[in-house]
Amino acid sequence: MSLVDKILKGERAAIAKAITLVESSRENDKQESKELISKLILNPGHSVRVGFSGSPGVGKSTFIESFGSYLVKKSFKLGILAIDPSSQLTGGSILGDKTRMSEISKNENTFIRSTPSRGSLGGVSFGTREAAIILDSAGYDFIFIETVGVGQSEIMAANLVDIFSLIVGPGSGDELQGIKKGITEYADIFIVNKADGDLKLQASKTAADYQSSLHYLSASETSASKKVMLVSSLEQTGMDDVTTTIQEIISINKKSGIFEKRRSDQLAYWIKEEVRNHIQQKVETGIRENDQFEEMINSVLTGKETMHNTIDLILKKLMK
Amino acid sequence: MTKNDKEQENLSNWKKSFEKETKKSDAEDFYFSTDEEIDIKPLYTKEDLNNLSFVEPNSLPGSSPFTRGPKASMYTNRPWTIRQYAGFSTAEESNTFYKKNLESGQKGLSVAFDLPTHRGYDSDDELVKGDVGKAGVAIDTVEDMKILFKDIPLDQMSVSMTMNGAVLPILASFIVAGEEQHVGRELLSGTIQNDILKEFMVRNTYIYPPEPSMKIVADIIEFTSREMPKFNSISISGYHMQEAGADNVLELAYTLADGIEYVRAALSKGLDIDEFAPRLSFFFAIGTDFFMEIAKLRAARTLWSKIMKDFGAKKEKSLILRTHCQTSGVSLTEKDPYNNIVRTSYEALSAILGGTQSLHTNSFDEAIALPTDESARIARNTQLILQNETGVTKTVDPLAGSFFIEKLTDEISKKSWDLIEEIESLGGMTKAVKAGIPKLKIEESATKKQAKVDSGDRVVVGVNKFKNPKEPKIDVRVIDNDKVREDQINKINKVKSIRDENLVNESLLKLTNAAKENKNLLEFTIEAMKHRATVGEASKALEEVFGRHFATSLSVSGVYGKHFDKNEDFKNVSKKIDSFGKKHGRRPRVLVVKMGQDGHDRGAKIVATSFADLGFDVDMGPLFQTPKDVAKDAIENDVHAIGVSTLAAGHKTLIPELIDNLKNIDPKSKIIVFVGGIIPEQDYEFLYNNNISAIFGPGSNIIESAEKVIELIIKKNN
Ligand code: B12
Ligand SMILES: Nc1nc2c(ncn2[C@@H]2O[C@H](COP(=O)(O)OP(=O)(O)O)[C@@H](O)[C@H]2O)c(=O)[nH]1
Ligand SMILES: [Mg+2]
Repeated sequence: MSLVDKILKGERAAIAKAITLVESSRENDKQESKELISKLILNPGHSVRVGFSGSPGVGKSTFIESFGSYLVKKSFKLGILAIDPSSQLTGGSILGDKTRMSEISKNENTFIRSTPSRGSLGGVSFGTREAAIILDSAGYDFIFIETVGVGQSEIMAANLVDIFSLIVGPGSGDELQGIKKGITEYADIFIVNKADGDLKLQASKTAADYQSSLHYLSASETSASKKVMLVSSLEQTGMDDVTTTIQEIISINKKSGIFEKRRSDQLAYWIKEEVRNHIQQKVETGIRENDQFEEMINSVLTGKETMHNTIDLILKKLMK
Repeated sequence: MTKNDKEQENLSNWKKSFEKETKKSDAEDFYFSTDEEIDIKPLYTKEDLNNLSFVEPNSLPGSSPFTRGPKASMYTNRPWTIRQYAGFSTAEESNTFYKKNLESGQKGLSVAFDLPTHRGYDSDDELVKGDVGKAGVAIDTVEDMKILFKDIPLDQMSVSMTMNGAVLPILASFIVAGEEQHVGRELLSGTIQNDILKEFMVRNTYIYPPEPSMKIVADIIEFTSREMPKFNSISISGYHMQEAGADNVLELAYTLADGIEYVRAALSKGLDIDEFAPRLSFFFAIGTDFFMEIAKLRAARTLWSKIMKDFGAKKEKSLILRTHCQTSGVSLTEKDPYNNIVRTSYEALSAILGGTQSLHTNSFDEAIALPTDESARIARNTQLILQNETGVTKTVDPLAGSFFIEKLTDEISKKSWDLIEEIESLGGMTKAVKAGIPKLKIEESATKKQAKVDSGDRVVVGVNKFKNPKEPKIDVRVIDNDKVREDQINKINKVKSIRDENLVNESLLKLTNAAKENKNLLEFTIEAMKHRATVGEASKALEEVFGRHFATSLSVSGVYGKHFDKNEDFKNVSKKIDSFGKKHGRRPRVLVVKMGQDGHDRGAKIVATSFADLGFDVDMGPLFQTPKDVAKDAIENDVHAIGVSTLAAGHKTLIPELIDNLKNIDPKSKIIVFVGGIIPEQDYEFLYNNNISAIFGPGSNIIESAEKVIELIIKKNN
């Protein structure tokens, strides 16, 4: 049986191997990965992809454990891609998200993969989009993507999913700042977590703050309006609310065509992104492997050549 | 020349001589920074006693602040209690062992329960298949408890029980067993550990989340203070913290901060502080830092009396910190194990000079398995020799007045006090524990210690220096897990067949309701146990209301690597790992796991963080996984290897199950499996025959282990 067939049958080991392939930095693997993905795309599943972003420690993994166990109880199949912020010091990393997902990870209907972020622009790692395609073809109902969202990577993460949610903690003024910077443009829902114990009151206040800031933001006419929700992942409260909201957003967006439009916009985004990546890589390897450039740059420094001429020359060499 | 000038002159002469002898320009070069970051000087003088913050050098034993001992007469009147912690397999076997020990000079009992009991599971629960009777004695019902104390008169014998998670059904069973021996609860003497905060921190046998767990602690303090006047309601324990890697300041500060939290919990029940304070007891570890340990016990008493005064305690008895001590297990080695007898002797002496009320000394086979009759005998004799042959009992607090000891006592007090205030500023220990801060600090300290040993900065005789070329062969206690489990299941079935099911169900329902209504739970548990509910059933009845706690754990990062900044071996292994990554398009990935009820996570956490520092991608599994969970996790993350850390002797059941489960999901799996932890040598062959690629026992150098692992991975993936 081919890898594609095994994935379509939902074989766990095959899915795992395929994700390794699409995440690999090895040249041969990249080629194989392209072939695999182009085949899988012809066999799409029916999954809805939901992104969960937010600062480290706000409780994304714990929320996924909590919300996830709620969904698997309703017999949904759940694929989870957790991008773990990894240590930069040596390049190795400790992937600890699964210690927060000990209950759902036991369940036969889940597939949980952690990936070290490896410093690739914060949140989304190389290969996450492809990994989601694999899980989709393998028949998962929901695909959750956990990312550490900061700045630019927020946009990348948002471009991977059908519903993008921002998880925040009680009293997180920082994220409120972020609202103005445009995260709301991408986030469909705001989940204020840790509404329990001593933090309960503060969490409700934070939720109210978000709610009122949302008034100032014009939701587009066709897409579902943005929602703020209050949950406790530890006490598993507010999960009904999240489920209904997600289902509502999906059905509204499907009706209005926004759902499909987003997916095609995202495809366009990724095509451009890939092209940009390729060019960047080409430039970088070119510069690394070509000693001539050093000499050419030197000639500018010694005044033998003008800067603009040299740039043109280098570009010509690189792009041919 | 005044007397003072003369003294100054003498001191500067000493300095000159010192510098001449040592050929160093400054005596400060000889300052030694301890794990606690206290500078130990080559010489202490009278000057060091100026400006002490906590210690009053003129105080006397038996009165506040009790630095010199809780009693005026100390060991001169009655020596400390020799109290050896023990328990294994069935109640029948443990009972025989206890009785033998009591005949040979042991004075008090201390029960070690097995892990299923600790975590509130019955022996017939599928989840605990590998753990029954392995690391302690299995107790499922009152019937087992009665067998455990058969022919041991409970009105005369003081019994200490290390129980925290399943504290309600176990204490209740003990009370019922007493009653059925015709000993009323008011006559029972001993201690229940009942210290849940350190379970969340380091010991890992919790059942319910922190808040309901704290309520249970307070219930027990309330109940015992009213109905069991001779019973210590809690043993506030730092011991496990040090064993998990805490330095002495962390141990002392966190223990006292725990104590503060328990006092508050009891006060919130409306109890008067003097009503319960005299029955609070403590428990510390005594490691190899000889003088520091002595200073720690003196500091503990000093600080506690201050804390209790601040709480408004009026009775003198309420200000006293009474403690049990245990020599350090983690200082004992698998290599050249007879050295451990010597280590334990020094530690025991340290505990005695520090003024402990009772003591456990470890057996020399500590790092191999539960003690044999023979090794337990030597451990006990270590104390009998101290008591009978050395004269240490003849003088109270003999080191008082030593410039060094007094100064050190003050320094450790000061550092600990600062840390206690830090915890208080976070809102107390329950909050700090929930945020995971103490656990992380202890793990950081443990990682530093490992780095010191692995780099050779700290010598461990027989491990990283002075190795014995011919390791001795020693006898090992073997426990037949299948047989114990079968026996326990038979006993449970027998109890279930003759008990009155209606009474059981009714009393369990009452227990659940009591939990909902926030009533004191101990009396309700006693009722259920009397009707022969099992430990598991009672625990479940409460779980319905409280839920089960799942820990989330943080990881330290960079601590190990930092120590090896310029180390060539470290760099070489790192390079191998990097180049594998380049060649294969991703870094080598290792899943480090704990399976079954084994909560020893120190080794696993240290190895995980160190491996990550070396360049591996490390997946850290949660505690209490089943082999099936691990296999799923490993396959989904497509790891190159699984490293199983196993210390509680479940390996012979759990490892083959893991291998089977891997094959079930992926018959062609190339995942390598290796094992670390406590593996007696006679099990090596069994493991190798079960597809285990490597075994790393206690004392393994992590850099060397990492090298072996990366080489195995390279070989397998070529
Ligand atoms: C520390 C300790 C504790 C601490 C644990 C703290 C913690 N959070 O880990 C405390 C005090 C809480 C504790 C409690 C108990 N303990 Co204890 N404990 C020990 C002790 C003294 C040291 C273990 C240790 O941490 N060593 C330091 C670490 C760094 O070493 P390590 O884990 O061996 O790891 C090294 C290697 O083995 C290897 N390695 C280990 N794992 C891995 C993984 C990988 C991937 C790799 C590459 C390498 C590797 O590399 C590491 C670095 O060198 C041992 C005896 C001993 N000297 O070993 C007993 C011991 C393990 N405990 C024992 C028992 C019985 C218990 C209890 C069950 C007692 C009871 N009945 O209540 C409890 C319950 C604990 C629980 N929840 O499971 C027994 C187990 C008996 C057996 N196996 O037959 C032992 C052997 C003592 C004895 N002889 O009786 N314990
Ligand atoms: N009080 C409270 N703590 C929570 C909640 N959810 C998560 N946490 C805690 O927040 C910490 C970080 O959680 P984690 O899921 O790892 O956060 P992530 O980094 O965003 O994935 C952990 O200690 C959790 O126990 C919650 O709902 N309430
Ligand atoms: Mg996370």
